[in-house]
Amino acid sequence: MSRLDDELRKAFKREQPSADFAERMLKLVAQQPEPRMRWWRRLGALLEPPKLRWVAIGVTASLLLAIGAAQYRKLNETVVSDKVTTASKNPENTENAHPAVKSPDSSKGEPERGPFNVKATMKRAPRPANRRIEPARARQEREMRAEGQAAKESLMLALSIASSALSDAQKAVHDDGLKP
Amino acid sequence: MEKGTAARLDDTLERSALGDQFAFEQIVRQHQGMVFSMACHFLRDRALAEELAQEVFLNLHQNLHTIKSPEHLVFWLRKVTSHRCIDQSRRQKVRPQVSLEDVAEPAIDASENDLFLSEMLRRVVDTLPEKARLVVILRYQEDLDPGEIAGVLDMPLNTVKSHLRRSLSSLRDKLSRTLGEVTL
Repeated sequence: MSRLDDELRKAFKREQPSADFAERMLKLVAQQPEPRMRWWRRLGALLEPPKLRWVAIGVTASLLLAIGAAQYRKLNETVVSDKVTTASKNPENTENAHPAVKSPDSSKGEPERGPFNVKATMKRAPRPANRRIEPARARQEREMRAEGQAAKESLMLALSIASSALSDAQKAVHDDGLKP
Repeated sequence: MEKGTAARLDDTLERSALGDQFAFEQIVRQHQGMVFSMACHFLRDRALAEELAQEVFLNLHQNLHTIKSPEHLVFWLRKVTSHRCIDQSRRQKVRPQVSLEDVAEPAIDASENDLFLSEMLRRVVDTLPEKARLVVILRYQEDLDPGEIAGVLDMPLNTVKSHLRRSLSSLRDKLSRTLGEVTL
């Protein structure tokens, strides 16, 4: 390194502005209107590393909850439709279950119910008198139970995945917090 | 840079971007020397340099959300200060274009007085064209290598190198003519 280099370094060493520069700067900044972030910048800011983690956790949890809810709904619909089918095979039961359809007078004192109020149907349906349909019903019930079991397992799997994803994320966040 | 320091600087930057005035003040205090010195060495006017530094920090305050890291912040400040210096110099147009030959001869022996030599060097650098002057300031004030200077000034690397070579050569010529026996 030549002496010229050294002399240039000395000549161009850093200098400080007046002592109150920072204070004056802050006053000036305070007088400025608040900078507004455009909506796409806000959206972009969500996708930056520290926030992206929370967005990913939220999206994963929402997705798993939606899948769980969809599975539950599907299961419920299957059970309900099976029950409706079963009930429609027993006209006596259906008649008993839906007095509003055949004889509105007989339902005095009770709220009027529609023909497809399955809950009421199932509550009111007595055991079938006809013993010949017993094997068919038993088979149906077995199938329903199997489907229900499968749906329950799917739901439990979805919930356990959601739970493990959330606990992993929590652990990652906790570990990040412990880092110096 | 230590990991802890880097994390703290990142945190300061993030808080500042979220509107924390105290964090912004820390950033100003940390970098005011760099910004002010670049402007001061380029413009050779303390009042103008302070004004320019204020403009640069105001601009920073409005663009804090675009700054990604402390390194990016320093790069951004150097770049904006350089551009502002050139703008200011062109806007002024009052700056006298002094040729190397017109620089005052020293009245005393430079080896006896470092301050005098420094002032002499600054005055000679002041006669260089804008870009060449900025290259010299970034090289010797900020200790940047030619590659980094090329990034800050958006210039090809070879142009930076040739600016440096030519500037140093003319500085050496002028100083050896002026100071005679002093070998630089």
